[in-house]
Amino acid sequence: MRRLAGLLFILASAAFSLAALSLGPAPNSRLLPRPQIASEQNLAVVVNLSNPVENLSMPELRRIFLGERSHWPNGRRITLVMMEPGQPERAVVLRDICQMNETDFNNHFLHGVFTGEVLVSPKTLATPVGVRKFVFNVPGAIGYLRVSDLDPTVKAVRIDERGPEDKGYRLHVPPRTAK
Amino acid sequence: MNGQNKRARRRTLAGPAAPLDRVLALASPYNSSLLLLIVFLIVIAIGRFVIRDLHTTNVEAQKMYAGSVLGLHRIGELQYQAQETRRSTFYALTTSNSNLQLEYADQSREADHRVNEGISEYLLQARMPNEIEVGKRLQRDWSEYLSVRNEVLASILEGITNEAVTLDLKGGAPAFERVRQDLEEIKRLYDEQASQQLANVAATSRRSIFRLIGVLGITLALASASVWAIQRSKMLGAIQLAKLQMEFVASVSHELRTPLAVISSAADNIADGLVGGKDQLKRYGSAIQNQCRQITELVNQILLFASTKDRKYRYTLRPLQVSQIIDSVLDSTAELVQEIGFVIERRIESGLPCVMGDLSALSQCLQNLIVNAVKYSGESRWIGIRAFVHDSEERSSKEIRITVQDRGMGIDRLEMPHIFEPFYRGAAVTAAQIHGTGLGLSLAKSIAEAMGGTLSVVSELAVGSIFTLHLPIVEKQESEMASVTSKPDPSIRK
Repeated sequence: MRRLAGLLFILASAAFSLAALSLGPAPNSRLLPRPQIASEQNLAVVVNLSNPVENLSMPELRRIFLGERSHWPNGRRITLVMMEPGQPERAVVLRDICQMNETDFNNHFLHGVFTGEVLVSPKTLATPVGVRKFVFNVPGAIGYLRVSDLDPTVKAVRIDERGPEDKGYRLHVPPRTAK
Repeated sequence: MNGQNKRARRRTLAGPAAPLDRVLALASPYNSSLLLLIVFLIVIAIGRFVIRDLHTTNVEAQKMYAGSVLGLHRIGELQYQAQETRRSTFYALTTSNSNLQLEYADQSREADHRVNEGISEYLLQARMPNEIEVGKRLQRDWSEYLSVRNEVLASILEGITNEAVTLDLKGGAPAFERVRQDLEEIKRLYDEQASQQLANVAATSRRSIFRLIGVLGITLALASASVWAIQRSKMLGAIQLAKLQMEFVASVSHELRTPLAVISSAADNIADGLVGGKDQLKRYGSAIQNQCRQITELVNQILLFASTKDRKYRYTLRPLQVSQIIDSVLDSTAELVQEIGFVIERRIESGLPCVMGDLSALSQCLQNLIVNAVKYSGESRWIGIRAFVHDSEERSSKEIRITVQDRGMGIDRLEMPHIFEPFYRGAAVTAAQIHGTGLGLSLAKSIAEAMGGTLSVVSELAVGSIFTLHLPIVEKQESEMASVTSKPDPSIRK
């Protein structure tokens, strides 16, 4: 009976992994910048105004978003803010920065917190306004917003020396669909 | 009260009178409205203090409301918003929902924003050094609390509640306590100011009440004094009028008694058969005739005066040659002048323009002046009559001046203002037993004014007097029109 249950678990895990892989392209293909479609907006990575960081490289950003880096250079604790699953902004971050799908991302943090490699799991907020407010209130927070959602209460950091308004910026998000 | 009585009362100054009565006599020519106006002005002058006090009270009350009552309200609001800032921060601790935590964070920030605004407003309005000091201290303490509150909020949002609680206990609670004490201090200052201003308002109100009572009292006293003064003034006027009337009756009786005595004596002599011969009888008849004429003239003058004062008399105005007027006067007075051996020097400029007037009235006017000159000339027995054109002092045009000059006793400077008053007779004249009614000059003046002219006098004691009749010149067209029609125009009847 135990053997049967173990077999079923292995089969289910394999099926789940196959399904997850089939949702997106191969990891290697995501390393190259994806050309921007005309209707797309850029997605800015934002931090608190008091944060001295101005520029982050894509690998640094990946480490931060995967919880592998816990503090900013000024000693402040890094708090990651994510939007709820299903939001296009979150999908872009998972795809272009974390290079993971939703499941891998969740598993990564479950595993990290369990092993103690990750100190704090990401905060999840429902709206861009919530993200903006959170980043405004928490000095060590980092999140992401469409360029159209930016305002002076938060600061957009450059990625690989390119700001959200610059040509060649790597993070693009499809337009919002009217509900 | 007519002008006659008023002027008569003014003359009481000459006689012995109480100082108060003299003052009343001075005020008596003016009607009671003037007295009431003075009272009214005094009351207004004092009332201004009351109005000023009321205004001050009002301003003090407004200042108290704006400075203290509103201030206390603002401090109450500040205390509430400060508590709200802290309370909302704590509410964020009670949930793990990040969206809800953000709502509480927003509420806390809104409240702290209102506190900052309130502190700034307080500092703007603070004037006293202690107010400014405590305001700045509050600003500093609030800023310190907010920096701790921000850290607490950040910890709560990060999900590290233990750290948030620790931060608040270590830094937030003491900082907030300092803020609370600062607010209490400001409240105490407002309380002190309110008490001080309340005391000021009370003091001003008390002063206003005292002054109001004072004004009412003074008004009552002045009104009573005014009523008394008016009554007293009326009484003095009535007494003086009665006295003048008696004097007038005595004077007229005296004037009548002399001719009556002559008539009576002549009549007795004729009746007793003492008058013999036609010539003697003729002389007696002439004497009786003269005396009768004098009595008639006296009675006429009194009646004329009465009619002019009642404004019943009507003059028929028409252009007159000056020489015509003077000739008429000299004719009527010729007998009198010749009888007592007077010389009349007559100088009339040639080609004088016409004057508008009533011949009979103007003759009467000049006759009165000549009779006076005869009466008061003394031994000089000379009268000068001149007529000439002169620039008018009152009007821009020219005027005719007719002067009657004598070299008699003259008029005292002190009596000059009164000589045209009816019934007035100078002390020297009375002492010299020169008979008269005191109506001649008054009548002459009335006539001159009715003709649109004036009567003036220049006199010096023991040198003589010059009475001048000023008459306006008739416009040329008017003069020509008047000469064409012999019928008097009703429109120029006065």
